[in-house]
Amino acid sequence: MPSFFKRRQITKQKMKQKKEEQTKQKIGDYGTTPLPSSLKEKIDFIKSETGNSFDVIIRKADLDEKLGIETAVVYIDGISNTQIINDFLIHSIIKNRELHRKQPNKDIFEIVREEVVALGDVKVLPNWKEVFQMLMAGETVVLIDGETRALGASTRGGEQRSIEEPGSQVTVRGPRDGFTESIGTNIALIRRRIQNPNLWVEVMKVGRVTKTDVSIMYINGIAKEEIVAEVRERLNRIEIDSILESGYIEELIEDESYTTFPTLYYTERPDMVAGNLLEGRVAILVNGTPFVLIAPTVFIQFFQSVEDYYGRAFLATSLRFLRVLIFFISIIAPASYIAGTTFHQEMIPTQLLIAIAAQRETVPFPAFIEALIMEVSFEILREAGVRMPRAVGSAISIVGALVIGQAAVQAGIVSPAMVIIVAITAIANFATPSFAVAISARIIRFLFMIAAATFGFYGIILGLVVLAIHLTSLRSFGVPYVTPLAPMIPKDLGDTVFRLPLWSLKTRPALISSEQSQTRVGGDQHPKPDSSKKMVPKKQKGEQE
Amino acid sequence: MEKAKIGAYQFFVLLLLFELGSAVLVPIAIGANRDAWIAILISTVGGVLLFFVYYRLYKFYPQLTPTEYMEKLLGKFFGKILAFAYILFFVYISARVLRDFGEMLLSFAYVDTPLFIVNTLFILVIIYALQKGIEVIARTGELFFNLLYLLAVIGFILIISSGLIDLNQLKPYLEQGWTTVFNVVVTETLYVPFGEAFVLSVILPYIKDTKKIKYAGIAGIVLSGINLSLVMAINISVLGIDLATRSQFPLLTTVQSIQIAEFLERLDVFFMVSMVIGIFFKASIYFYAAVSGTTILFKFKEPSKLVYPIGLVILFMSITIANSYSEHLKEGLDLTTRFLHPFFLVLAPVFLLAIAYVKNRKRKKK
Amino acid sequence: MKRKSFILVLYFGCFLTLTGCWSQKELTDLAIISAMGIDLTENGEYASTLQIINPSNVAGGLQGGGAGQGPPVSIYTATGSSIIEMNQRASKKLPRRRYYAHTNVLVIGEELARKEGITGILDAIERHQEFRMTAVIIIAHGVKASDLLKVLTPVDKIPANKIIKNLRFTEEQWGEVFTLNLQDVKKDMTAVGKSPVISGFSIEGDPVQGSKMENVQTSDPETTLSATGLAIFKEGKLVDWIDGKTARGTVLILDKIKNTGISFDWKDKKDVGTFQVIRMNSKNIATMKKGKPKITVEVKAEGYLSEIRTAVNLTDPKILIEMEDTIEKTIKEEILLAVEEGKKVKSDIFGFGQVFHQNHPKEWQKLKAEWHDVHFPELTVDVNVEVYIRRTGLRNNPSVLKQ
Repeated sequence: MPSFFKRRQITKQKMKQKKEEQTKQKIGDYGTTPLPSSLKEKIDFIKSETGNSFDVIIRKADLDEKLGIETAVVYIDGISNTQIINDFLIHSIIKNRELHRKQPNKDIFEIVREEVVALGDVKVLPNWKEVFQMLMAGETVVLIDGETRALGASTRGGEQRSIEEPGSQVTVRGPRDGFTESIGTNIALIRRRIQNPNLWVEVMKVGRVTKTDVSIMYINGIAKEEIVAEVRERLNRIEIDSILESGYIEELIEDESYTTFPTLYYTERPDMVAGNLLEGRVAILVNGTPFVLIAPTVFIQFFQSVEDYYGRAFLATSLRFLRVLIFFISIIAPASYIAGTTFHQEMIPTQLLIAIAAQRETVPFPAFIEALIMEVSFEILREAGVRMPRAVGSAISIVGALVIGQAAVQAGIVSPAMVIIVAITAIANFATPSFAVAISARIIRFLFMIAAATFGFYGIILGLVVLAIHLTSLRSFGVPYVTPLAPMIPKDLGDTVFRLPLWSLKTRPALISSEQSQTRVGGDQHPKPDSSKKMVPKKQKGEQE
Repeated sequence: MEKAKIGAYQFFVLLLLFELGSAVLVPIAIGANRDAWIAILISTVGGVLLFFVYYRLYKFYPQLTPTEYMEKLLGKFFGKILAFAYILFFVYISARVLRDFGEMLLSFAYVDTPLFIVNTLFILVIIYALQKGIEVIARTGELFFNLLYLLAVIGFILIISSGLIDLNQLKPYLEQGWTTVFNVVVTETLYVPFGEAFVLSVILPYIKDTKKIKYAGIAGIVLSGINLSLVMAINISVLGIDLATRSQFPLLTTVQSIQIAEFLERLDVFFMVSMVIGIFFKASIYFYAAVSGTTILFKFKEPSKLVYPIGLVILFMSITIANSYSEHLKEGLDLTTRFLHPFFLVLAPVFLLAIAYVKNRKRKKK
Repeated sequence: MKRKSFILVLYFGCFLTLTGCWSQKELTDLAIISAMGIDLTENGEYASTLQIINPSNVAGGLQGGGAGQGPPVSIYTATGSSIIEMNQRASKKLPRRRYYAHTNVLVIGEELARKEGITGILDAIERHQEFRMTAVIIIAHGVKASDLLKVLTPVDKIPANKIIKNLRFTEEQWGEVFTLNLQDVKKDMTAVGKSPVISGFSIEGDPVQGSKMENVQTSDPETTLSATGLAIFKEGKLVDWIDGKTARGTVLILDKIKNTGISFDWKDKKDVGTFQVIRMNSKNIATMKKGKPKITVEVKAEGYLSEIRTAVNLTDPKILIEMEDTIEKTIKEEILLAVEEGKKVKSDIFGFGQVFHQNHPKEWQKLKAEWHDVHFPELTVDVNVEVYIRRTGLRNNPSVLKQ
């Protein structure tokens, strides 16, 4: 029988057709077109292809004036290291003129490759495709007259943002470095943390126009092979013009698009990525963005912070409970207020009800509209605060506080209780450790408000049931989204809303890491030195003095 | 069949939620008066025995759903007729459960809302869940199982600490003697909720670790029996027998009588949450059984399309089966528990099991 | 298929959300009823009194600002031949929807309780989904329920709250009355071997004066509400009132007393000592002796001496033991007083019958039919009291001793 209840099946033929159509009009794809031997032709080709761009620098240098052997050093200004190019390429070529005369047997190309170019990473480029790839990545291409090959020397560089503290995930305790826009730096940051040859990095170019470097990183032996293969396959399937941020990748490889919940985790912190790699996850790094994707992701990850592992277990556990509470507050607080004041007044204690009723006496709107006004105006305020230049920010917060806080209450447009609810919701939303989930809670909140306004708590409860069904139906790279809660995996529960002491978390997550090696804590690591367990034993007689 | 895999624990959770479902909300075994809790405990034992019948049947055909093995056991014609009868039964009970739900919601909170709207909303949620498949239902079950027990524990603590429990209300024990108790067991509680476990035979073939099914099943039935008995005992000891008998929903009345510190009172929402969760799983599983049976019987290729029409049938049936709640309850007692339940949940499975034994012995001799 | 189902869901969604809001009720449209009173009129109809909260006069909010200016509650009345009907009739006068979920007090007029009983009235309330069974029920003692509800009270602005708190703290600290909610009453009324006793409230002062704002604007309110005595019911009808020691004895048997001060005589001097109870519990034990029912009331009380106005050496344990005996006797007297009163009106307000039912179900079958009228008045009641004086407060001997 065909699969039950699952209709997501695009026929393979269609996929193939699409792929063929797309390959026909790839921009900047030179296939394996070989280089002409004449230097002038080569230079002309580069010039015409790059449209005589201002930043494409072509420096000609004679290798042998008499024989008329000319070379050209081609690089792109700004993304390559000019200092290196000057010192080790151009300078070296000029200095080593006529060097080949001493070694008549040797090919000029080989001489240039081996002796003239004084750089570590030198590649032979057989065709235009590779030439342009190198050039665009910031490397320098050395063209030699009469040769159909070119040399590529690694001279990447140029201005880069230095490593700074990550802006989005700040911790009190923990390392202060964050990813930058350069993929090389990012890989290095991770490798510095996991000094193990089994940390494997695969690089691929994604984006027909942008040719963005995307790399998959995982620890061989810990990561599940099926998941790595799945990630690789999904990345290979991408056919799109540009990848400007890891968000592009996220949207193209995630399991389910029609959901507000992120099925891929993103982070700016190398320690976070390292921790996740060690749990068997796969990191996807994209050049040009400090945000690294982590797959597969489970829902509970969004309630965890790296700091949980650096601090004491008790604190981490209580904070995680708080965060789950925060999540629920931020989705159902306004909805509960609406349901309580328009459907279930019997549930509110009499004194509180009287207080709320007194406040609402002068409010001209029904509770739902009141809540909607407040929530929407808060969202406007927040959006303004995020987009505005920092200097204007304080003005916005003053105006916001005055308008939605005091003035609205004094004018009798909203009740103080509503202001309190909106404020709690907003703060709860800010306190959610993951921005991605906070956003999704923002959207869901409005749905819950509508449900509450039409059916009270019945609506809210049904909403929660639907939410639960939705969450449990999600998967991230084949891993159920709500593991280890549903399906329940008892031995993984130690690191969910709880964070038990490290020595008791003996295994890696079952569904995520490779089945072969799941032990991460060897033996019994529970620290129990005798001297601190009991009263300190008396010293032996001989030991005295 | 669906390509799904369910763990033994998930089966246990589904079974438990299914059994508690509506039974925890309505007065069950109240015919036995103060001894309702004893009656429930006794029927738990019967429930375990019945489960063994279902389990043996499953053991004979571990890969097949009831619809399929009925054909094998009774032959094409009779098997199909019985399977079809079962589908009707499932749809009917699903509609009854939905009606129960609607009536409850209407009589204590949403008096002015039409039954149709409340039921429509609920069936939409169930349809959504069924679209996602049994695996998702099972996982959702795991989530709500925790929530339900959390609520139960909180509720229990609140009831105890508000000093409502008066165990003297349970006395005298066995005032009307054992006969009344057994009468209630045989005519009522054995089938609802314990016999209803047969419906879960539909999902038995999906379970991964087949060895644990037995234990999961027994644990589920015993635990649900203890829970139901406890709830009933609390209801009676809080409300007294008269109120407990006259309440349409004794648990609701019990929850409503909680009063602590002038703040923790009027906790109807507790009741509403447990009601939605319980009924959701009960109705979904019946509904799922109907869909699964129909798919196999009529060889449908896309079962998800069946969810809508069957959902509509259940919705309209739930509204038209009775004119009033009293009529609905009367129908339940006179028709459902007297004829339908004994036949579909006890007689037919036992009969099938007997045939399976005979057939298997023949095969072994050969 | 996906699109179709999406449209279907959208359709249902619109249809539900746009036409929804059946049971919706805005807070500003509600008349929150804090207390309801029911009386019997002269021509045999019911008269109901609804005490409705004026929220802005209770809670001094930012916008309202009028707290304390207007009356915190307003009274609406209506008459009719059934409870629901007359309440609905009251909506002719009310600008808002009547809302019963916060009705915490139900006052029954004495006349109604005597003539018609409370059984019938409670049905409508029990059936109503808004009305709470945790509402406190009281009987208007000697006045009409409507008058009782009109009295404005200081300190607790909402009179209904005052009544509840008044009852609760009197129960906790004195014990002549106790809080009884509708559910308890219903439970007592349906049990065969028990009749309910309900606390009574009366007005001290002029009822008309009490309904005016001036009543709460002076330091010495002219009219106040006070808990007075217990109403004994028989077959759902009020038959007698008890108060003072009899009432406390009743509450004692019902095991509802937490704290109370018991005055006792010492060496011919009347009421010179006070025993402050800090823990007290009582238990009724039913036994059958030669086919005759017998009840033993066992009371244990623990406490300290809070007052002594005569020369006595409290440092001597022997004297304290002697004192304990005296207190035991005093308590026993109170209890027997209550039992006598119950026997007089032939109503088992103590639930002795229930104890028999629970522990001797077979014998009970014979006693059941004529319990209140025959067996209960003839019942032998034994009282065992154990009193422990744990300490004597911050001083040992009274200063009287030295003189």
